[in-house]
Amino acid sequence: MSGSNRLAGLKARPKDTTVEEVRRVDEVGEARGFLDRTPRKKPGRKPSPRTHQLHPKVFPWVGEAIAAEAERLGVTQGQLIELMWEKYEGSH
Amino acid sequence: MPVIVMASPKGGVGKSTCAVLLASEFARMRADVTVLDCDPNKSLTRWASHGLPAGVTLKSEIGRSEIVPTIRSADGDGKIVIVDLEGVASQLVSRAISQADLVIVPMQPTALDAEIGSEALALVREEEEALGRSIRHAVVLTKTSAAVKSRVQKELEEQLRGAGIDVIEPSLVARAAFSELFAYGGDLTAMMNDPEMMTGGKVDKALINAQAFAEAVYERLK
Repeated sequence: MSGSNRLAGLKARPKDTTVEEVRRVDEVGEARGFLDRTPRKKPGRKPSPRTHQLHPKVFPWVGEAIAAEAERLGVTQGQLIELMWEKYEGSH
Repeated sequence: MPVIVMASPKGGVGKSTCAVLLASEFARMRADVTVLDCDPNKSLTRWASHGLPAGVTLKSEIGRSEIVPTIRSADGDGKIVIVDLEGVASQLVSRAISQADLVIVPMQPTALDAEIGSEALALVREEEEALGRSIRHAVVLTKTSAAVKSRVQKELEEQLRGAGIDVIEPSLVARAAFSELFAYGGDLTAMMNDPEMMTGGKVDKALINAQAFAEAVYERLK
């Protein structure tokens, strides 16, 4: 092929792209096994971000202090509260 | 300008290679080529990451919902759109075919490729019927022997032509340079002129093959 732009004379044929046409194309494809294979997103609710909130009534600085201590000990806040409960019960 | 779609529900038949060769050759003819990489394997994106030939633009990560509007937006005066599809039977494939001016179905000369590739040909014909307009389509045999035409290839060509299917001549010969385009990027001309690129094959013969293939495709777009 030469370097001259012979391709400039090429034309695309007009194609309708209506919703109805796409639907018909999908139907024809599906009948032949050409299915929607778009990867599905992971089902279910996305995990909420950690707020370090123990209870709505706990003061934020108390919640933060408990979260920091749990992190320092390498336990969850729930485990730390369990330890605190044991101590509380032991003291009564 | 035309939209050329590479379609086959079988993987590894040479869809991406055909797309790269056509994009390079048409760009060399000073066409503004947009290549759409719709294959999750991202073969064309990998090729482009090493450098695109002048005149070629790549769009990637195009899904089922985006394919029709993306083709429509890429199409325009002086532009050729080449769509490389995934090697599966999906709605993405059927939607892309509906927007094509020419569907090329690459096929290795094996019974399995012919059987699976024929699904794409059948789909084109059914879409023609559903849409009430013709969609030009052709088969190109790929990874053929440079030395001799095998008996299987001869028989397959005969069967395809007997069924009224357009078979592009020449076939694409199995050439190391074709596969190494994906390692070096760019086009065969650049590969031939750069002594740093080690192809281990005959780039000049690969280039002649690619040019003849592009010429045959051009004839079908007129």
